[in-house]
Amino acid sequence: MIINGVTIDDTFAEAFPMKGTRLIITALNAKWAMISAQAFTGFATSVIACGCEAGIERELDPSDTPDGRPGVSILIFAMGGKSLAKQVETRAGQCVLTSPTSALFSGLDNPEKEIALGQNLRYFGDGFQISKMIDGKRYWRIPVMDGEFLTQEKTGVHDSVGGGNFLVLAESQAQALEACEAAIVEMKKIPNVIMPFPGGVVRSGSKVGSKFKALNASTNDAFCPTLKGQTKSDLSPDVESVMEIVIDGLSKEDIHKAMKVGMKAVCNLGPENGIRRISAGNYGGKLGPFHFHLQEIMV
Amino acid sequence: MSALTFTLKNIPAQRIDCSPLTPEELADKSVAEMAAIELFIGNSTGRVDSLFVISGDDASDIKLVNSCDKLDFIGRNMTAGKITVEGNVGAYLGIFLEGGEIEVTGNSDVYTACEMKSGKIKINGNAGDFVGGVRPGRRNGMTGGTVIVTGNTGARTGDHMRRGMILIEGNAGDYCGARMISGTIAVLGDVGAHLGYAMKRGTLLLAQAPSQGISANFNDCGSHTLAFLALLFASFSKLDSQFAQVESFSRVQRYAGDVGGIGMGEILVKI
Repeated sequence: MIINGVTIDDTFAEAFPMKGTRLIITALNAKWAMISAQAFTGFATSVIACGCEAGIERELDPSDTPDGRPGVSILIFAMGGKSLAKQVETRAGQCVLTSPTSALFSGLDNPEKEIALGQNLRYFGDGFQISKMIDGKRYWRIPVMDGEFLTQEKTGVHDSVGGGNFLVLAESQAQALEACEAAIVEMKKIPNVIMPFPGGVVRSGSKVGSKFKALNASTNDAFCPTLKGQTKSDLSPDVESVMEIVIDGLSKEDIHKAMKVGMKAVCNLGPENGIRRISAGNYGGKLGPFHFHLQEIMV
Repeated sequence: MSALTFTLKNIPAQRIDCSPLTPEELADKSVAEMAAIELFIGNSTGRVDSLFVISGDDASDIKLVNSCDKLDFIGRNMTAGKITVEGNVGAYLGIFLEGGEIEVTGNSDVYTACEMKSGKIKINGNAGDFVGGVRPGRRNGMTGGTVIVTGNTGARTGDHMRRGMILIEGNAGDYCGARMISGTIAVLGDVGAHLGYAMKRGTLLLAQAPSQGISANFNDCGSHTLAFLALLFASFSKLDSQFAQVESFSRVQRYAGDVGGIGMGEILVKI
């Protein structure tokens, strides 16, 4: 398949099941809500070493937040419910509880499966914490030095999908980056997804496994341009740089939508901007059960 | 289907225990079976049809018409459905209520919503003493649900209340929130003396400063903007109450007490 002169490989992105939740951080103003959200979602690019993948979904108007203040919606994903709970709790405790004027709410209701949000953070209140049941949901008011930290007790967990991806193959590093930036602008408009890597783009895509026993992932040598003559390369001579966009979402349909708008934005740049191909991280079925076929998405 | 209606024939001389007249007790009963239910009347009993005219057939929507303050225990142990009372009611309205809704067009007597667990009660009038309270010798009053009183409440509103919400559009009597364990009582009008006496935890939210002042057993914690109040007022917006129209505020003077006990309760006064 060729779209606007860009080849879409006959391959698929391989994704895996995750557990995810949405959290809403509010603050006195949008600036401090964003600072808190950035702290919460820091060092959360890949479950390989971060324990979770998290990112900012969107900024929220005061009319869209539970307490009527400016807010930020974030999504966080982990490989299981327990690891998600651990990540949510430690990050909430260190990055949101500590952030001036912040409050923390669940953005995802699922009474059938919930994890602690402020349930254990309340003990920071040293006995002065106050519980409030409002509309059937329990909140905790924890006294802190700038007033009170308000947090919902629990948040819902959703069966999610992690690792949706596509690779942008370009004639130069700058052109690959420009295309990925254009894709991220469009993909950020899609709800229920995050692109967890720095700026949404990853330059060190990985393959499953390694020659070193201690590692379960290593550099995707088939797409490393400097190894064209050293390994079984998947790159043509005119490709000098490859960058990847990884997508986590609350459902495979959400990832499907995000990949479509992202790849479309890349294709719009075309060969005149150095864009040659779009491929995907296909690990031969070793990574996960969700397969996003690029050509089917772009039909 | 129309509401199952019990119209009181005459004002009784004795008090009547109406606890069998709930949606779950009457579900699947024929009119003849309902008519034959024996109600306690003072120290004797009498058939339902000797006291009420029965009409309608929807047991999940019960109406008590021509009600008076001799009808006690209306909605006792009710778990679902609706009871609408036209007139006043006696004591123990909605005692042990676990779900559903009770609405009264008149006044209610003592122990309204006593030890209520969940559901909603609305009194379109005044309520007597011990709203949401506890029976003598018991440990926990109301443990959940919402009570709305459009008029005034008597003394000891929320006595030993553990959870839930009591919203009073008028004034509350003396000892409001006394011995309160937790939960929320909000008052748009004035409150009587000894506010929060022996209160352990919980919130007394006042839209105006009490005319009789705050007890010395409560310490002034200063003026604050509390984020949870925005959520609380947002939850009021769904209610059929003056609380839905009242302008939201989150700036309050906070008093903590009763320091004669553990002192974890709070009185929040709008400023």
